[in-house]
Amino acid sequence: MTEPPTQQESRTQFNEDWAATVIGLVLLVLVIVGVIPPGLIP
Amino acid sequence: MTRTQASVRTNGVLGVVLGVVVVLVLGAATRFLEKNVPVWFEGDIAKAVEYPVYAIVLGLIGNAILTATGWRERLEGGFRTEFFIKTGLVLLGASINLKVIVTAAGPAIIQGILLISSVFLFTWWLAGRLGLDDRLRALLSAAVSICGVSAAIAAAGAVQARKEQLAYTASLVIAFALPSIFLVPWLASVLGLTDEVAGAWIGGNIDTTAAVTAAGALVGEDALAVASIVKVTQNALIGIVVIALTAWFAFKVERTPGARAPGIGEFWTRFPKFVLGFVAASVIATWYLGTVSGAEGKEVIAVANDLRVWFLILAFVSIGLEFRAGSLREAGWRPVAVFASAAVLNLVLALGLALLLFSGFTV
Repeated sequence: MTEPPTQQESRTQFNEDWAATVIGLVLLVLVIVGVIPPGLIP
Repeated sequence: MTRTQASVRTNGVLGVVLGVVVVLVLGAATRFLEKNVPVWFEGDIAKAVEYPVYAIVLGLIGNAILTATGWRERLEGGFRTEFFIKTGLVLLGASINLKVIVTAAGPAIIQGILLISSVFLFTWWLAGRLGLDDRLRALLSAAVSICGVSAAIAAAGAVQARKEQLAYTASLVIAFALPSIFLVPWLASVLGLTDEVAGAWIGGNIDTTAAVTAAGALVGEDALAVASIVKVTQNALIGIVVIALTAWFAFKVERTPGARAPGIGEFWTRFPKFVLGFVAASVIATWYLGTVSGAEGKEVIAVANDLRVWFLILAFVSIGLEFRAGSLREAGWRPVAVFASAAVLNLVLALGLALLLFSGFTV
């Protein structure tokens, strides 16, 4: 018999969702306040 | 913790770190090729090949090399397509005026509801006619009608599908998405569609979110904006479908005694939170652009766009690295026939709805 998807997998999926949201918004704020200036991103 | 467990965990963490390094190196190579190939080779073709193409091809080449050398499974924890694409989409929100999102939301919701319900029910019906297992039916229907791999993962949790069914569905999604990335933009050009209609078609038709952004980017910025809004709307509707699946399997398929109907808490748990980040980024950028001069605002948002392109490149590289042809061969022809039929229906319906709902739309 094969096993169903684990809770761990579901949790990883949801954590990734929040991580993407937080990191995306933090990067945007850093760009707006000038911590990441024009020309820095290759 | 035993010594063996500690060793496995160390290998796991190291594997993820090395996997991310591989993705970053291939991402840097993509950026390098994107900038230099048009300089090395004169002509329209070299200029027309854009970063999604280099990223996916390099990902597939990396996949072949890592598979041949036996490193792929050890490093696959670092191939985070979903994380990279969602971060890229949050950053994409910064380049879309809030007014565009609000204006497009109405048609996008109508398109999403009509497409998801008709393609889901058709796939469910056809898979039943061909005698597929109910759980695989649910996974295939969710994947082809909503948003590919992430919908399949959410549906797998709702119906307690087996791991190999999920792996198989994910491979099927990517196998169909890869040619669509090039085919749909080409068809849109042949049919002479506006960028907005092409974007709505791409967002409604192509399953997986990463492939939607790749195809949208090939058509242009306006198409990418509309395609993303349409796809993000479909992502937001996933919670409703998952609740319906959970209830259906509990009450009709498994008839679990004393099963409770899923409530609003379940909807919030399943809701893709990056959708909130996408809208929040648009709100922040729209507010910011109202407080500074046009030139300054443009320069700053261009930096956010550069970061967005990086995350999209990492997602496209990961698509290539994650693709597994092996599990497709194991499952036989019937699920492929179901998926292909549903994809054709999706293609035609999404084109009709895009023409109907987005013909007069401008970004």
